[in-house]
Amino acid sequence: MSDAVIYFDGTSSRRHAATLTFADALEIAVDGETKARWTYADIRRADSGPGTLRVFCQSAPTLARIEIRDPALAAELTSRAVNLDEHHLGRRGIAKIIGWSLAATVSIVLVVLFGVPLAADRLAPLVPESFERRLGEVSEKQVKIVFGEKTCSSSPAGQAAFEKLVTTLRAAAGLDTAVESAVVSSEIPNALALPGGKVIVFDSLIAKANSPDEIAGVIAHELGHLKHRDNMRGLIYNGGTSFLIGLLFGDITGSSAMIFASRTLVTSSYSREAETAADTFSIGVMQKLGRSPKAMGELMLRVTGKEGGKGLTIISTHPLTEDRLARMSREDQTIKGPALLSDTEWQALKGICGKGKV
Amino acid sequence: MNQFARPPIVPPPPEPSPPLPVPPPLPAKLDFTGNRNGFLELVMRGAGLELVTLGFYRFWLVTDIRRHLWSNTVIDGDAAEYTGRGRELLIGFLIALAILMPIYLGYFLISIEAEHLQAMASIPLVLSFYVFGQFAIYRARRYRLTRTVWRGVRFWMDGSGWLYALHASLWALLAIATLGLALPWRTAALERYKLQHSWYGDLQGRFEGRGWDLFKRIWWLWLASPLAILIFPIPFFFAYYKAVEWQWWLSGIRFGEVTVESRLQSDGLQGFYWKVIGWSMLLSMGFGFVIASLAGTVIGINKALGAAPDGLTTSIPIAVVTVIGYLAFALGLSVITRLYLSRDLWARVLSTTVVTNLAAAANVAAKGDLATAIGEGIADGLDVAGF
Repeated sequence: MSDAVIYFDGTSSRRHAATLTFADALEIAVDGETKARWTYADIRRADSGPGTLRVFCQSAPTLARIEIRDPALAAELTSRAVNLDEHHLGRRGIAKIIGWSLAATVSIVLVVLFGVPLAADRLAPLVPESFERRLGEVSEKQVKIVFGEKTCSSSPAGQAAFEKLVTTLRAAAGLDTAVESAVVSSEIPNALALPGGKVIVFDSLIAKANSPDEIAGVIAHELGHLKHRDNMRGLIYNGGTSFLIGLLFGDITGSSAMIFASRTLVTSSYSREAETAADTFSIGVMQKLGRSPKAMGELMLRVTGKEGGKGLTIISTHPLTEDRLARMSREDQTIKGPALLSDTEWQALKGICGKGKV
Repeated sequence: MNQFARPPIVPPPPEPSPPLPVPPPLPAKLDFTGNRNGFLELVMRGAGLELVTLGFYRFWLVTDIRRHLWSNTVIDGDAAEYTGRGRELLIGFLIALAILMPIYLGYFLISIEAEHLQAMASIPLVLSFYVFGQFAIYRARRYRLTRTVWRGVRFWMDGSGWLYALHASLWALLAIATLGLALPWRTAALERYKLQHSWYGDLQGRFEGRGWDLFKRIWWLWLASPLAILIFPIPFFFAYYKAVEWQWWLSGIRFGEVTVESRLQSDGLQGFYWKVIGWSMLLSMGFGFVIASLAGTVIGINKALGAAPDGLTTSIPIAVVTVIGYLAFALGLSVITRLYLSRDLWARVLSTTVVTNLAAAANVAAKGDLATAIGEGIADGLDVAGF
């Protein structure tokens, strides 16, 4: 029975065979000498393997332990130490964790849905122009690596036509001369607005266009992105939501997929809104110039084809092309203004990359 | 001792016989006393709570798992104890977030400057996160060790997390330069650093495992690595490597005169890895089946109601079902992994390990302070968290 109670005094790893006396406090004696007195109310259970009751005392050295291997003694102590399991996480503790987690989740979701877009809208104009331009130069370098470094400038007539088109649109859009633009040779029919104010049009988009108005609408759309500072807003928005959603799911197993999915969901909805706003801007510019806003939509449809019925619409970054065209058609008007480019200028623009495609 | 005791009356032995060889101290047994069903219940309940709390419960779950594993690890008749708490991990995580946020922002600004000088120049900057991750690994180990108590005395660690991170990163560069051949020496050097700075009370640890010994047992894996393209040998290789590494690591641990020896067989862990693979295949099949049948039902109902085949009435329920099903699948996987690769593996490793000269730790003075859980928080934030 000598091993029934073991006492560790918390200052050394020595095992003391001890005897317990249940007086008004728990008395721990080693070799007949009382080593410690533990107040029952301060005694707490510590983790231990099966068959052992291990306790510590809140008013004794932190690591002092009593190990009781005798069930009768253990029962005796359990009945006296009224607060034995008070420090353990009970049902109420778990309910509290669940409650606070749900509260944190709700607040993160609210911040993602309302706070971050607001912050992006308010912060973007505060970002210094010089920083944004730097960002633009960086992304231009990356674009050139990804799409090939081929700014088209071999045809002076084409260049002149392109500049004329951009200048007309820029003036109508109310943007200053800081806006730069270039045609880049690429297989992908697309156009980009880089942060800091640079519009890049890929030549295969020009090749697919049937009239200057179609390209003009696209450029006006990109100018809309510049005017709204969508690059900066998108950057702040994406950074903020990525961080918060990462925080929400933490490292629960398989979280990366969840993070990716939910981020795609919210950022694409944000992006669709920005695209719609840029379309509105493009429509406004084209109307101001007395030209057809619908032309851009027709070009888009030629490039993408009908999009409805393909894939999940809630994760695409752009509104459906047919919806965009429908909206532009509603805003269409009879052409009042002069043509943006003459026929010769248009042909020159089509040949700007020197490929002679018509 | 009484200094005035009279000299013994017993006559000295007549002739100086050669001293009897001291019998070697009996090795102490290590045992795992945990109830397997109890552990399974713990991790299943924990997975459920993780689902409900969208992952926030992880701090308490990982604490409960450690408490279970530690308090059922019996060394020479006395169980260890884990004194860490979930709340500490939560606070450490929040502080780590506050530290990581400006770091991410600074990283972003520096990478823009680097890209400005040269496109794609920011890619090497990602490596700085590797260094940071190594720092977090060291500090997280320190947290866990200072929460490990045996016989009323805690383990603790000194040393520098940054120095460790520097070591680890330089060794990683060497390992890359030698196409992985230097890895055993890297592991040995890092374990040396960690154990040299680990203490049990005032008893200092050290590591006597040598890189060469590990290399001798795993070099053929290096030669066989092209076979990994076939996918199916990977678990064999990995389970073999893990078993060899555990055996080599444990057998190198010393605390003062206390020595540890592992007799784990090199095929001792194969079963656990294959069970995990088998169960995850079953789970993913179940997951696929449930999603497919639910999607079929939704489409069927929509057809009956005459809704458009790609309308929101179809895509939203399917998306919701997929997300919930996926979460359940991921949590099921975590239950399986924890059961086989944390609990069962640990029990197997313990049952094949003996400790000799434990008497050297019989009267160790308590020493060392608690470390904060910030390291664990950073490790969590960077996804390098361990056991």
